[in-house]
Amino acid sequence: MTAHEISEFLAPIRHEFPDQRSLILPALRFAQEEQGWLPQGAMAAVAEATGYSQAYVESVASFYDRLYTEPVGRRVISVCTTLSCMLRGSDELLAHVAANIGTNGEGTSADGMFTLQRAECLGACDRAPCLQVDSNDQQGPLTHDAADAIIGALRADGAPTRYDR
Amino acid sequence: MPQLNSVYRHREFQDLLTLSGYERAGGWNGLKATLEMTPDDALYAFHRSGLRGRGGAGFPMGRKASFLPVDSGRPTYVVCNADESEPGTFKDREILDKNPFQLIEGVAIASYGVGCERAYIYVRGEYGHQWDVLERAIAECRAAGRLGPDAFGPGAPFDITLYRGAGAYICGEETALLESLEGKRGQPRLKPPYPAVAGLYDCPTLINNVETLAALPPIMHRGADWYSAIGPEKSPGTKIFSVSGHVLKPGNYEIVMGETTLRDLIFDLAGGLRDGREFKACWPGGSSVPVLTAEHLDTPLDYESLASAGSFLGSGGCIVMDDSGCIVRASWRLAHFYRHESCGKCTPCREGTGWLEKILGRIVHGDGRLEDLAMLESLFGRISGRTLCALADGAVAPVQSALELFRDDFERVIEQGGSPVPEPMGVINA
Repeated sequence: MTAHEISEFLAPIRHEFPDQRSLILPALRFAQEEQGWLPQGAMAAVAEATGYSQAYVESVASFYDRLYTEPVGRRVISVCTTLSCMLRGSDELLAHVAANIGTNGEGTSADGMFTLQRAECLGACDRAPCLQVDSNDQQGPLTHDAADAIIGALRADGAPTRYDR
Repeated sequence: MPQLNSVYRHREFQDLLTLSGYERAGGWNGLKATLEMTPDDALYAFHRSGLRGRGGAGFPMGRKASFLPVDSGRPTYVVCNADESEPGTFKDREILDKNPFQLIEGVAIASYGVGCERAYIYVRGEYGHQWDVLERAIAECRAAGRLGPDAFGPGAPFDITLYRGAGAYICGEETALLESLEGKRGQPRLKPPYPAVAGLYDCPTLINNVETLAALPPIMHRGADWYSAIGPEKSPGTKIFSVSGHVLKPGNYEIVMGETTLRDLIFDLAGGLRDGREFKACWPGGSSVPVLTAEHLDTPLDYESLASAGSFLGSGGCIVMDDSGCIVRASWRLAHFYRHESCGKCTPCREGTGWLEKILGRIVHGDGRLEDLAMLESLFGRISGRTLCALADGAVAPVQSALELFRDDFERVIEQGGSPVPEPMGVINA
């Protein structure tokens, strides 16, 4: 992702923000779409496109859970484990997904296909226990078989063309 | 028990995901009526309706709007808080998913009242699907001239900018949300000044929750008197409750305030509990409120009654636990949430939420001592009320109340050497 590409993305929305600092978060989200996380080069490009220092851009990025400053798998699976989901078996679902993709709890699978993370309330307690793939619609209530089917379909899909975390 | 789908218009009408469908369902009548008033009269109508903020604090919406200075010489902003993240709360998600135009209309109505030409809707990062729905709805409004240079009449512009968060519970706190929207780390500000005086870009700002703003179109169409006559005088209108946990029919229920009890909500609307199970506890207004027990089940659902019962209406996210659950384990899980989501700015919260999680964790895992309960009690007052925002109070409330109401359970778990891992409920409504 180059600074030029980011600038082109920002051009149509620049006028919507009196302070251009507001563009940093949209720029970071856009930059993340390319590789699914934010390597140093992407941070530098966001800095150049927005006119802020790379140090500042990184200080913003590091605050937010869904901006990844370390590499993650091609698909990020978030299993909600907050109270409503816990009461309906989220911990077992998390363990089951981990066993399926071969991680020991949270982490990235050896083939780089999946990162599994426990999430705080995803706003889908009516679907508990639920999970979310990247930032797609939350799915649930999930039996372990249903979770296996979701993971199987993701394996068949391979890598997305753009990453929306 | 009175249900009234005023905000959840999609439960009464079909095809609300298109502008034409929304118009057929009476859409834009509220804005039309508003535009025939002066902005002052619109503000007065907000006030007379008695509508209170549905995000959690319950502050009167019209009063909040009236705090914005008229002649500041600076732009005025309306910001919609769509950062729904309170555990147990998923009411705004359904508005965004199913009835996006009513929110857009509500944002427009509020904006007309306070003289705002550009409003912002801050959508939580995880709501990618909801973002897509809202983005399409806004594009359709722009194409139809409902948003844009002549939205409020010839030469009277109004538009809405969508802004996406990136995963941070604290950004639902209004000043943290403004910081995030300004391109900063989402950490709360010292108040005062309140956003009404110095909010977004240091300008006068009205910030309201999705449900609050989506309540406005029917209010302005049918009149403030219609709304204020629904339910109790101090808590009029409808409120959406999200019910989750150990109930057979988890979901959202829009009810008339004050005319439905907690028991009606849980045992009738939400289908009650599994056979053979007894009610143990519920957190009626999201997880940041004191827990209630079976003796509170006949409490009417409105701000005053829930406060009298010792809890809060909060966001209306009602988490229910039956007697298969362990209150100590539940408290520990909530403590984990607040420790994880503390932004770290205030020491009592940053350190205190860590201590809460650590102490509760060792009790759950069998390493607790009876002295731990006194240590927990000594922490509450050192965390609560000592921070810039309410996250710390929200972290303490469920734990402190659980310890007060279920002290025997805490002692038993310590004496038994831990909390047994519960049998999961399994999927019963797939």
